[in-house]
Order: sequence, then C-alpha cells, then structure tokens
Amino acid sequence: MYGLGILKGMWVTLTHFVDTFVDDLRWLGRRYYTPEGIAHRSSKDSRGIFTVQYPEEKLPVPEEFRYIPFLIYDIDENGEHQDRCTSCGICAKVCPPQCIWIVRTEDPETKRPVPEPVEFFIDIDICMNCGYCSEYCPFQAIRMDHDYELSSFDRHAEHIFNKERLSKPAAYYNEIRPVNFAIDEAERAEKAAKKAGN
Amino acid sequence: MTEINASPNMNSSGYEMPPEMRQNIAITTLDKIWNMGRRYSVWPMMFGLACCAIEMICTAASRYDLARFGMEVMRPSPRQSDLMIVSGTVTKKMIPQIVRLYNQMPEPKYVLAMGACASGGGPFKEGYNVVSGVDKYIPVDVYVPGCPPTPQALLHGLMKLQEKIDSESITSVRWYQKEAIEAIPVPILGPDIIDPRDFPTIKSLTQGKPAAAEPAAETA
Repeated sequence: MYGLGILKGMWVTLTHFVDTFVDDLRWLGRRYYTPEGIAHRSSKDSRGIFTVQYPEEKLPVPEEFRYIPFLIYDIDENGEHQDRCTSCGICAKVCPPQCIWIVRTEDPETKRPVPEPVEFFIDIDICMNCGYCSEYCPFQAIRMDHDYELSSFDRHAEHIFNKERLSKPAAYYNEIRPVNFAIDEAERAEKAAKKAGN
Repeated sequence: MTEINASPNMNSSGYEMPPEMRQNIAITTLDKIWNMGRRYSVWPMMFGLACCAIEMICTAASRYDLARFGMEVMRPSPRQSDLMIVSGTVTKKMIPQIVRLYNQMPEPKYVLAMGACASGGGPFKEGYNVVSGVDKYIPVDVYVPGCPPTPQALLHGLMKLQEKIDSESITSVRWYQKEAIEAIPVPILGPDIIDPRDFPTIKSLTQGKPAAAEPAAETA
C-alpha cells in the first residue's frame, strides 16, 4: 500500500514528540541545568529530544574523546616538574599535518643531548586531532586533551601552543582519562622494573 | 577553560542609584544597547565547504540550537548575513567565490574560521590545491581550532564573536568612518591561484625589474 512508509515515519516523529514531554514530566525541574539531568539526557535511557544548553551545561565527553594533545609532567619529591617527554621527535615525525615542532638541547659542557625539550610547539590550528602522537609516544608523554574551548581572536599569538601552555600534570591526565592512565601507569611500572632488573 | 559572559551587564558602573529603583531603571550607554541588539542577531550565511559544515548543521539543529543565541536565521544570501562561518577546507577553486561573497556582505560583517583547514590549512597546508588559511585573503575575527570542532566548540567560538561585538564602539567602528571601505580584490584562478594584490611582485619577478619601479614603467 502506498503511503505506509510515510505513516510509519510520522509515527516515529510523534513518539519522539510525546516522549519528550513524558521525560520532561518524569524529571520535572531536574532535566535541565543539573549534572544528573545532562548525564541522563546523554545516556541511552533518555527518551525524546532535548537541547544542550551549552554555556550553562556541557555534554559529558567520553573518555576516548580527543582534541588537542598535551604534554604530561610528573612532580617529583622535591616538587619539581619532570617532563616525561625526551624530545625524541617520534610524534613530530608521525604527525600527518606536521604541526609539532620540537627544539632539542645539549649539555653545554659534555655536548651530549639533554633528554628534555627546550621548547615544544603545537600549532593547534593545523592539528587534526588524530591522536597518532599519543599512540606512538614511547614514554607516555603526550596524550590527547578533552578541552575544546580554545577559540580566540588571534591565531598566531594564541593558537601556537608552547611547552608551557601544553604541559599539564599527570594528575590532570588521571582526572580526564582514568582507564588510560591506569594502563599507562602499569606500562611504566613494568618498564621501570625491567630497568631496575638490568 | 575561558569563562565567557553570556549576557552582559547593561548597567554602566559608577552611578549611584537608590536600591528600590535598581529593578526598574538601567543607566547605560548607546554602545551597549547597540551592541546588545547586534550580538543577539548575528545571522550566519548558509554555506558549508567540507566536513566542518556537518558539525555546523548539527549546531544549528535542535540539539545545540543556535536560536538560543539569536543566530538561527541562516541566510542563503550574502546581502542579508552578518557572519560568514568558513566551515571547511578552502580550495583554490573556491576562494574567489568566498572573497566575492565576503565583498557582497554588508557591514558590519564578521568571519569565523571554523576548523583546522579554514584557520591554517590543516592537513592540507602545503597542498597544491588548498589555500593554507582563509585569513590569507579575508580578515578573520575568530578562529575555532579542531578537526572538526565539536558543536560545543563552535558555540564557544560564536560566544567569542559576541564578546568581540560587545567590545566595539559606535564611534570607532570602521563602517561608520568617512573613508570608503575598499573591497578585497577577488583572486584569479588560473593554473594556480593569483592574488591581485601580488601583481607588482609578480611583474617584477617575471620582468626582472624591482617592484618599486612599477608605477613609473606603466606611465611611460
């Protein structure tokens, strides 16, 4: 019979329409502008349609969500920042749009390379958020961030992130990606044990 | 993360008001009223270039709902739009049309470069057929990084634009000055893209003369 598909589609639209109000009533007053409200609305149990009231409430991002990379540093017992990055340059090499620029350094006396970058630049207006850098990093030093609120008026002054802007503590990494952090920590512990064994 | 003031305080500071009148009276400036009218009626132009356009469509749809910012009226004509969202890869074939559309937009006009390709060329920044950043040709007001930016990132960029609109003053904006605003010369697509602003340089290179001597050579 002709027109049956249209009726089916209309029925789906109608159920969405009704479900919206059912959910609104069930979550009366708590559906919008509350953390549990947005968590419920973005879950699979949510019925009906809704709007994310963006500046006031933000959609929770999944753990594997990736935006701009960041560098991880550890804080040692003296309270000093220890970069995990050794400026090996693997991330800069695999980066498909070539947006990473690392400045290496060497010891002025021994002329041996220092395993720490002097400067580390990422042009976030070139970065395509692919995550290859974090995938290839052998030292778990570069990982993908969740922060997406980065727009600005001046690309050259504000969108070329230097080392200072990119560096974030390991605790922050644990906060945004707990599962990945646990995997990384296990890997690092294993590597440290191997090193101690030798 | 940057905090953005979603609705600006209309009152000018420095005026003493009795507390019972504070709910009823606002002492403000013409600039603030003018800017409030403009910041809640930024009409974007309805065009998309690449994958970022999908995110822009998603932002305009009901889930993220640009209408909350007064931006829901996507205009299919440059004559009626205030904002050009350059959403996607700007190819050399497309840049003449984009510059033409920009020239056809009435003042005040704003440009938002959405995504890596429009801001800096992205993965195609050294490509043979892609303009590495739309800001090489038209002035860009807000850059939104991401590949593509999520709808929320785009909304953040649009709120940044509102912030920029708030900072403008009716006395100093360029479209109320006496001098006429020069249109941007439309690039010419040949075997490669040519910017008419580069003509003196190109001539000097091809004819082996310094660029400064060019006007004299033309009159002779």
